[in-house]
Amino acid sequence: MNGLRLLFEFIVFPGFLFTLTIGLLLSGIDRKITARIQWRTGPPWFQPFADLIKLFGKETLLPEGAPRSVFLLSPLLGVAGMTVISVMLFRMNFRPEATFVGDLIVLIYLFALPPLAVFLGGSASRNPLAAVGASREMTLYFAYELPLIIALVGIVAKAGGALRIGDIVAAQLAGRPFLYSLSGVIFAAVLILSFQAKLGLVPFDSPEAEPEIMAGPYIEYSGGALALFKITKAMMVFVLPLFFLTLLWGGFANWWAVLKFLSVLVLFVLIKNTNPRLRIDQALRVFWIGVTALSAAGLVLALFKL
Amino acid sequence: MPNIRLWGLKRSPWVFHVSAASCNNCDIEILDVLTPKWDVERFGIVLAGSPRHADALLVTGVINRKTLPRVLKVYEQTPKPCLVIGIGTCSCSPHMFEDSYNLAGPYDRHLPVDIYIPGCPPKPEAIIMGIVKALRRL
Amino acid sequence: MTDRKPAPEFLNGIADKFPGISVKVHSPRRIYIRIDRERAFDLAQYLYRQKGCRFSTATGIDTREGFEILYHFSDDATGIYYSVKTVVPKDDPKIRSLVVFLPAADWIEREIHELLGIEFVGHPNPRPLLTPEDWPAESYPLRRDYEGEKGGKNGG
Repeated sequence: MNGLRLLFEFIVFPGFLFTLTIGLLLSGIDRKITARIQWRTGPPWFQPFADLIKLFGKETLLPEGAPRSVFLLSPLLGVAGMTVISVMLFRMNFRPEATFVGDLIVLIYLFALPPLAVFLGGSASRNPLAAVGASREMTLYFAYELPLIIALVGIVAKAGGALRIGDIVAAQLAGRPFLYSLSGVIFAAVLILSFQAKLGLVPFDSPEAEPEIMAGPYIEYSGGALALFKITKAMMVFVLPLFFLTLLWGGFANWWAVLKFLSVLVLFVLIKNTNPRLRIDQALRVFWIGVTALSAAGLVLALFKL
Repeated sequence: MPNIRLWGLKRSPWVFHVSAASCNNCDIEILDVLTPKWDVERFGIVLAGSPRHADALLVTGVINRKTLPRVLKVYEQTPKPCLVIGIGTCSCSPHMFEDSYNLAGPYDRHLPVDIYIPGCPPKPEAIIMGIVKALRRL
Repeated sequence: MTDRKPAPEFLNGIADKFPGISVKVHSPRRIYIRIDRERAFDLAQYLYRQKGCRFSTATGIDTREGFEILYHFSDDATGIYYSVKTVVPKDDPKIRSLVVFLPAADWIEREIHELLGIEFVGHPNPRPLLTPEDWPAESYPLRRDYEGEKGGKNGG
């Protein structure tokens, strides 16, 4: 019975299907908000669902000479990573006693899977434009991971040195959410920027810069394989604000969380719509110099309990 | 085609723009259509970065003997089912290029065109109307 | 030497450097300078280097006199176009290539070569540019006596 329950948790709720559905809905809302900001009507709310259904109905073409197994399996890596992350996040928030020491580190490793999947897929495409896109993806990953790790260390320090997400949430529920402090605001800024890059949103969407490199690492993907990459992105849209809430805003095991979640999401969309795209070297400089300095400052403040 | 597959294709046609020896007038009009003013995203139309992501090929220009193999290659790389939309009067007929030394013949000799949008160049309103008509016929 | 309208001061002294040229002021912004083919290279170089003009494009026409080649230079300060006009005979269509000092002339000379059959002596890369890969050699479509393939029936 336990096995069946586990399967249900991973595949239906709160795993794959639930995260995917909410993620697609949020993408639809994001496109609608973007359209309204640009004074136009925009697509209907179910547009991402239609996109996915259409993609699954098309044939998947394989580029000649590309390693078939790597090409077709790498999108699954991202999907698998996101499924596990979403299950873990829900468990940590609703049943904090079920977490284990070091699960924060496990999450960091799992969050490396989607960019890795893009990198593998792009490299297996046997296309120079895909190779450029894949290398940019990895460069961007190294760029935003550094300040992110420093910020996470700071958050762990604020929680009294606990490497369990359950303890981080509990510390916030017992006291104040970490966001309501100076270091918390700094960490929030760092997290927002890093997650913007992780989601591949402007100003950090250089890896998929069309029409510069024609869809970048996804250039040779079509049909079902491309749909899997889109699924990974959609799931990330749902999971990343949840991660933000867990770390800085007291978790999401209550109804106020819906409002907090939406405000974080709207922040992502607003940043996306009001900024031009940065070149990959500019993005690298922004993260490694500016955002890292900010993150380090936040860490120092957190150590002084500010 | 089963209904759900058709519905997906109708609701989310991603377009890829192929310029086959055109004078670029139609290409500029296609660029205009894709701007926020005409808002083709309400039909689900998005510009695809690669032919492998495309559902509709917007082909412009009189096909040249030099561009013909390349246009055919792009068509092959577009996963089926896909629409082929000929934009501009050059797609409808070779007209003044009839006796040219470099002509590769009218479109339907090489590609299964679904809809022709005449005009030199067709206005963005005409292009949108043509694409919507093509989608309705699916 | 000049025709109807006065030539700008830009052309002062040009008659001394290049005796025997004929300057035609076609309109306030279009001036044609006709020269023989041996010195067309030097005149183009003079306009580009000494006078600071920008090379715009080149044209080739098949006329009764021979093949006319024009190099169009733009004087961006005044907006006037100076076109160096020269005629090469049809039985010996050769002229010195400008690519040695003007890399911008590379592709347009390749195009004139493949469509009109004019040989640009000294061009580093005289491969065809616009005609399809299987185009027969020695077949120049823009010549008036072109009798080769035409029309869509040969397509595909």
